[in-house]
Amino acid sequence: MNMNHHQFFELEIADIALGFMPLTDCAPLVVAYELGYFADVGLNVTLKKQYSWATMRDKLHAGVLDVAQFLAPMPMASTLGLSGEAVNVIAPMVLSQNGNGITISTALYEEIKFSNQIHRIDFPISAALLKPIVEARKESGSKLKFATVYPHSCHYYQLTSWLTQNNVAIDDVEIVIIPPASMVEALQSDDIDGFCVGGPWNAKAVRDGVGVTGVTSCDIWPDMPEKVLAMREDWQLRYPEATKAIIFALQRACNWLTHVANRFEAARILSRHPYLDLHLSVIAPSLIGSCLVHHSLSPRHIPSYNRFSVEGIDTINKPELFHGEWLLSQMVKHQHIEPKQAQETLIKKVFRQDIYLSAFGSPEAKNNVAVFKSTKIGL
Amino acid sequence: MPKEKKQELNVLLIEDDNNKAEVLINALDCSQYCIRHVATTGMSLLKQVEQLQPNIIIIDVESPNRDILDSLSILSTSNPKPVVMFSAQGDTETINATVKSGVSAYVAGGVDPERVRSIIDTAVAQFSAYQALKSELVKTKQRLSNQRVIDQAKTWLMESKSLTEKEAYHRIRKMAMDNSQKLEDVAKNILSLAQLLEKSS
Repeated sequence: MNMNHHQFFELEIADIALGFMPLTDCAPLVVAYELGYFADVGLNVTLKKQYSWATMRDKLHAGVLDVAQFLAPMPMASTLGLSGEAVNVIAPMVLSQNGNGITISTALYEEIKFSNQIHRIDFPISAALLKPIVEARKESGSKLKFATVYPHSCHYYQLTSWLTQNNVAIDDVEIVIIPPASMVEALQSDDIDGFCVGGPWNAKAVRDGVGVTGVTSCDIWPDMPEKVLAMREDWQLRYPEATKAIIFALQRACNWLTHVANRFEAARILSRHPYLDLHLSVIAPSLIGSCLVHHSLSPRHIPSYNRFSVEGIDTINKPELFHGEWLLSQMVKHQHIEPKQAQETLIKKVFRQDIYLSAFGSPEAKNNVAVFKSTKIGL
Repeated sequence: MPKEKKQELNVLLIEDDNNKAEVLINALDCSQYCIRHVATTGMSLLKQVEQLQPNIIIIDVESPNRDILDSLSILSTSNPKPVVMFSAQGDTETINATVKSGVSAYVAGGVDPERVRSIIDTAVAQFSAYQALKSELVKTKQRLSNQRVIDQAKTWLMESKSLTEKEAYHRIRKMAMDNSQKLEDVAKNILSLAQLLEKSS
């Protein structure tokens, strides 16, 4: 079937600079590029690999990047001006759900068994088991140290949720921010006791024998947006058709990623140099629903470890009001924003489901998306 | 008038590539800046930032470690630092135009020493101004919230003890003086007592 989708979008611009982070859940962006979905809608997309969220944000604000993969709370942080000048950034599409995990050092894993006087630990690991250790450290004047990737991130909020849900006070541990690629080394050198990060870094720690992945984000709060498509509000106003075309192509990619078999193929693509540049054995597991837990234990089966789209469900990619409410409630809880900043008007301004829906507005487009859902498109 | 001697600034230069670092070190006047070059990443970098307490940090815009520095200003667990970023690419001018937070400034790599110096001086000045504004804002907010607490306590006293506003205020002030506490702390105590009473009634 030769599908040509030029006719759907009267593009105002064809050349698009798209920023992505070399993490497992950049899969939709890479798949849309590699499988020619962007080209099919007439877009000439250049994927721009980024190395920090702060620079990704600055570049999007400045227009050096046209569109970008953002952590779900970031568009609201940009709009509120939480780090730098306020820039209206919108999120017209959810790119992925879940995908994060908390990995602790093998030393802490052993210490948990010892101080709780147990021989084995059930998964997901409850943070309640940390309590005796947290108390002991308190007496010796030290704290358990956890790392995560960015303040305005689901990782940060999931890490603290895991602790507080089990009555471990956030103040009783130390949380630092370091880049994902530095996590495994920091764990190995005992600089930290654990981290909350996205793939492939949890699997890498387990494969290297330095960490135990105790919990996934599916265990803490499942099926919330993890990464979103972000662009400046004025960019969308200037290029509404190009925006729709990008969403359309990315939706095709997400739908393709519904199938486990395709996700393994995605892992192969991601392992290449321009993308993650890491071995397939650390990228593939989370994509095919496997959570490596410990180098000598069987993996846990977590079907939605990395979710991009779900068969049978209408769509998980449409930004919903309750997604925004949830994220804002986390930001208030951590005093990243004031309660009065958590407004429904802010969510509606940022989480633009109207734009998402407009990408599939024409009946023709809708039919074609349906076709993609039921067709397995080979490489 | 005698030339005022400028205070030496501690500069932390984070750069893996020694050649790139050299260009920047040469561009900076060593009599004005005390430059410390590190090529570490992740936790060891974080430790060095804490240990060295630099006045300013220079880092490549493409460095993954930027998020570490960004988080220091967001979470402000330690003193935020002005950060100057350099980039080999020409897009820094565009970025500069929009980054006005005062926390960060961008500079293109390999430009003439004069420009690098002026950008760094501007960044330090902007940053100090921004920090002053930020702490002023915090103080103002604190003042406002203190006033609100005192007003609430006054209202509660007026309603529950049938006092006039003046009497209620004097009551709070007297308690504060008697216990050598701040007005807002007394007000907070009154309000938590009020809450307790409401719950038990």
